[in-house]
Order: sequence, then C-alpha cells, then structure tokens
Amino acid sequence: MLTNFIKILLLSITLISYASISKAEDTIKIAIIEPMSGPLASVGLDLIEGLEFFAERINKAGGVLGGKHIEIVPYDNAMVAEKTIQQLRKVIDDDIRYVTQGVGSNHALNIIKTLGKHNKRNPGKEIMFLNHSAVTTSFTNELCNFYHFRFDANVDMKVAALVSQMTKDPSIKKVYLLNQNYAYGQSFQAAARRLLAERAPQIEIVGDELIVPFGKILDFNPYVSKITSSGADTVLTGNWGPDAARLIKATANSQLKVNFYTIYAGIPAAMNSMGVKVSTFNPIVQVTESHENDPSHPDWLKEIDAEYMAYANKSPYADRQRFMMDMFAAAVNEAGTADPTAVGWALEGMTAKGAHGDVHMRAEDHQMHFDMVLSRISTDVEKTFIYNNEDYGMAYATDGWVNMADITLPTTCKMKRPKK
Amino acid sequence: MDVILFTVFNGLLYGMLLFMLSSGLTLIFGMMGVLNFAHASFFMLGAYFAYQISKYIGFVPALFIAPLIVAVCGAMVEKYALRRVHKFGHVAELLFTFGLFYIIEELVQMVWGKVPVGYHVPEFLDFTLFSMSGMGYQAYAMFTLLVSIAIFFALFSVLTKTRAGLIIQAALTHPEIVSSLGHNVPRVFMAVFGLGCALAGLAGVLAGNTLGTEPSMALSLGPIVFVVIVVGGLGSLKGALVASILIGVLQTTAISLDLSINSLIETLGFAVDLESLWHILIDLTISQVAPILPYLLLVVMLIVRPRGLFGNRDV
Repeated sequence: MLTNFIKILLLSITLISYASISKAEDTIKIAIIEPMSGPLASVGLDLIEGLEFFAERINKAGGVLGGKHIEIVPYDNAMVAEKTIQQLRKVIDDDIRYVTQGVGSNHALNIIKTLGKHNKRNPGKEIMFLNHSAVTTSFTNELCNFYHFRFDANVDMKVAALVSQMTKDPSIKKVYLLNQNYAYGQSFQAAARRLLAERAPQIEIVGDELIVPFGKILDFNPYVSKITSSGADTVLTGNWGPDAARLIKATANSQLKVNFYTIYAGIPAAMNSMGVKVSTFNPIVQVTESHENDPSHPDWLKEIDAEYMAYANKSPYADRQRFMMDMFAAAVNEAGTADPTAVGWALEGMTAKGAHGDVHMRAEDHQMHFDMVLSRISTDVEKTFIYNNEDYGMAYATDGWVNMADITLPTTCKMKRPKK
Repeated sequence: MDVILFTVFNGLLYGMLLFMLSSGLTLIFGMMGVLNFAHASFFMLGAYFAYQISKYIGFVPALFIAPLIVAVCGAMVEKYALRRVHKFGHVAELLFTFGLFYIIEELVQMVWGKVPVGYHVPEFLDFTLFSMSGMGYQAYAMFTLLVSIAIFFALFSVLTKTRAGLIIQAALTHPEIVSSLGHNVPRVFMAVFGLGCALAGLAGVLAGNTLGTEPSMALSLGPIVFVVIVVGGLGSLKGALVASILIGVLQTTAISLDLSINSLIETLGFAVDLESLWHILIDLTISQVAPILPYLLLVVMLIVRPRGLFGNRDV
C-alpha cells in the first residue's frame, strides 16, 4: 500500500536526477512514449523500468561505440492517442533520434504516420521507431517503412502459433471465436478464420462473435450459455483486460469445460485478477517468445532473469525488450555511428541469441521472427510469478513450441529504402 | 419454454446486479436532489475495502465493515464539503461530485497501485448450487441475488412505512417545517447521503470480485448506472428495480439472438446485393448491438417520457 507510494516518489526522484546528470554526458537517447498515468499506467511504468534495466546492462558492459551510454527518456502519453503525437513532437524538438512504444496499436499508428512525414521532410535528421509490442499486422505490410522495426510477433503470427498448436491436440474439434469489436479484435478474427481454414480444416468453427470492447460488458453469462449450446470445446479469443477476465470467470463459475487459446488472457495482471482457482479451472493457453519455467530456458537467460528480479522485484514476462536493446546496441556498433539510417541498415536481417534458438529481423518488412512457446497457467511450476514482492502462486507451464518457419507469413511490404 | 425461462433467469441475475449498483444513486437523488457523479467511485471504494478486509479477517466481516466505512466516508463528504456547496445550487453539486470522482480514482491508485488486485469469491460460496440447461450456477451469484432483493424490500419499507422514512421525505420537500418541528435537517441529509454511499459500497463488496477490482472500474460502470435511474425515473426506487430488470432481460435476450436484417430477408426467400457499407448494416446481428440497447432505451425514454417509468418529475 504505502510502499507503492514511496516507490513512485523514489522513481520520480531518480528520473529527475537522471535527467540532470545525463545532459552533461554524451549518450545515445531512446525516447519511450507510454502511459505513465491513467488506468494503464502500471503497464507503461513496468515497460520503462524494463527498458532502463536492459539499457543499464549494456552500459555496465562498456556501452556502445567504445564507451557511449544508452539513455532511456520516458514521455507520458496517458493512453491518449493525440498525446502520443504531442509527446512525439517534443521528442523531435529534444533532438532524440530513436523512439520506442508498444502499448496500443492506435498510438503506434500515430507514431508511424507522424514520423513518415517528418523523415521525408527532414533528410539527415530521420527518427527511427523501435516498436516493442504494437502488433497490428499492417505495420509490416502495407504501412511498412524503413525507419520502423517491430520486435514483437504480429497478430497474424500469434494466431498462426495458436492454430498450429491447436492442430497438435486431436481432441479439439469445435472452436468458438470471440473477439472485441475494434481494429485489433477484427484482425484477430480475420486471421483466425483464414488460418483455421488453411491449417486445421478438421476443426469446425461453431461460433464467431464480436463483442463491444473495453469492459463495457458486465455480464458474460449469456455468452457462456451461447458457447455451451454451440458445443465448442475450445474458445479462441484475442480479448484482454476485463473482457478476458470476466469471460473466463463466468465460464469457470458456470462449470463449463473449454480450452482458452489466447494472446493476452494470461498476462500477469489478468492472472492475479482471476485468482488461482479460476485461472486453473480451464486450460488458459497463451503465446510468448519465452517464459521462465520452460525446460529449455537457457542458463545465460536465467542469469539475466535473476538480475531483473533483483532489480525490479518482478518475474520477467517476455524476452523481446531484452533482444530489442541487445540488437540495437549491436547495430549501433556495427554501423559505427548512432545515425538511424546506418543503424537501420545494420538492423536489417540481423540475427541475435534468443530463448529458443536465434531470433531474426526479416529485412523485407522489418518484422522480427522467432520460435514461439505455448504455455498454460499452472500452479505446478518451479518458479511462481512474483510481482512487486507479491507471489501470485502460479505461472506458466510449457505446452509446446512452434517453429519460426510455421509462423513465417508472406508480406505485402514494398519498402522504399534510403541510400546507405 | 426452457430457453425463455433460462434467458429470463439470466436477465434477472444481471438486472439485480444493476439494481444494487443504482439503488444508492436513485435514493440520494430522490431524497436530496443531488445527482452524485461519484457514485461509482464509492462502489469502487467498497470493492477495495472488501479486498483489504477479507485479506485479513475474511469475507463475512468485510460484508458488514466495508459498507460501513464507505458510509462514513460518504457522510464526511456530505458534512464537510457537499453541504457547503449545496447553497450554490445543483450545478455546483454536480461539478463537485464530478471532481470527487477523479480524486477518488487517484487516491485508489496511490494506495492499491494501478494493476487489478486479487479480490476473489469467498471459498465457502464458491461451489455450484444447481444447473440449468447445462449451465451451472454459482452459490455466490444466488447469494448476491438474495442480498439485492433484501435491499429492495428493506429500503422500500424503511422509506414508506417507518417514521424515519416520513421525516426523510418531508425534509426534502419542506425543510423549514421539518426543522421547526425539531428535527435536524442537515443531519438527515448526511444520513441519507451516507446510506446511499453504503449501498454503493455494498454493491462493490458483492460485485467487485466478479467484475474485477481495478482503478478503472468506476469509469466503466458510471454510464450504465445513470441509464438505469433515468429509465426508471429519477428518484424512484421502484422505477430503478423495474428498469434494472428490464435492461437485464433485454440485454440477455438480445445477446442470445443471432438474427440480422439480412438473415431475416434470406429466410423470406430473397437475396440482397447491396454496396459494402450497407451490407455491414444489414449484417449486424441483434447480439452485436445488445450492449448499446440500454442507451437506445435511454434516448427513447427521454423523448417519449422524460420523467422515466415511475418518476414524478422531468429530468
């Protein structure tokens, strides 16, 4: 309770002191635009903390370009898409050449559009967008841009991973699609329909529903009764936040046995809000690029996990921030300069170490590719999830891996590239 | 028949949840004329207090203590702030409660953090009581239903059958006469505001664990509560009950209908070929528009009968 307050106070003090020290030094700055206030502030603050940790790791190991430090500069968008543009203008005025963001594809879209104009009008002063989590597929298709790099798998790739895993379970015969009625939910629905038809013709779609998103629905019982009467054995959903938690709670409370195949229903905050009993009543399968309890989790990554735990008092959730920062540092070193155009050329086609084999930045569309792990929430795990010293009593257990090849999808990207 | 019964029952369950959320709001408005924008915030406080208390001494004490604390908070707000604002009229009161909404949200974030907290259904009520059409019903849901029915009868009888209820009602319409009869009118107002907040708090205790307890819950619940009290008639307890059940049954029925204009035309044996934009419109199923229906009802009600179902004054 009070510790949270003190933490926020300390964080703001350190942020202020950082800002004053770093002005004197010669650093490579990366602006991060995320919500630091409003209902999604916790997500933004955790991400900033994570990036600062990984930047510090690189700096401690000697920095880049023979001693230069990487500095993370946070900007608050309060989860308002217009504010993201305002803050981006500030980033431009502050002469920062790299910007990263990931919470909310509408925010990412604003950044892509604004930077597209800026980079065209200001040759030699281009700004690069390192997209760590915004998943709308079109960013690496028709909207692709040389100065945009995505380090997370896109919606289509995640759905491909879910569908590939579903084909491995012969007991899955009837699937119910339930998604939020806005851009992200609709693209999940479209990808699920297409990939189920292509890869799992034996699975029948017995329901296909779009719901009003963002916690507007209080009572999920009518949906549960529809799922019950459809005879579905699996629910494939892109829902997140209360839309996912309430659906899964209502399902557990009415004793309906189904599998949940999801992208975000198993994220730590959701897990805690549902509690152990609801989270483990039905299998809640989620897809990430790594998780702590995976038997193949490499030792070198375990060491980094332990360092992160000591630094942030949180279990790690995903690996993409780590390889994003490592690849950025490698690209700067390879380019021999901090100029975004040269760094962009270095990042294209770059390969780095991942949790399960190598991770690869596809040159064609700047979409990251890697093996993905399917895991379910379980209490039978080696390390339970810890968040700000609170033990959730559960974590993820591996169901299986999907190879990079199975989630590599064709792109429609026709990228215009600057001169080297 | 089975399907109808089942849908009505689900609708009733949801409707009573809405009633519990809105009863305190309509009470405060009916008795004091204050439209409390921060009502959902008191609901949120109830949920957070219940989470904290049940973590240490269990759910049953929380069920009684949490609404009590919320009532005290509400009474203090009335005594030290709202009473001073009262003399500047209803707009000032409205703006005051609007500001209060944001203050409570920030306070909650400071104390309990910004991620959802783990407030769960108590163990001893977390079992399936009975099944209907293949769907199990949790004992906790039935418990909530019973409590909300009890609230309605208790409130209704207190306000119409007891002396205290008479004084409360008289204090609103004829405050001078009531005070010259020796009753402390400001204290009556404080008690009513406290009671209204306690009801919100109780709803928070009971619904916080099924809806999820997080700082944004007040914001997402605000609108639907207003729909209920406007449709039912501002200030009418009976109206709030009927409107809640009406909205509950309407929405539940609508979600179970996968009919669209297009499917209706097709069953009649016609095929339509429209431009894509129109196709979206006729392909829209009733279940997809279900969550908007309450708001549609609100608009229609304001046009046709601005005083609501049981209200005795226009909005």
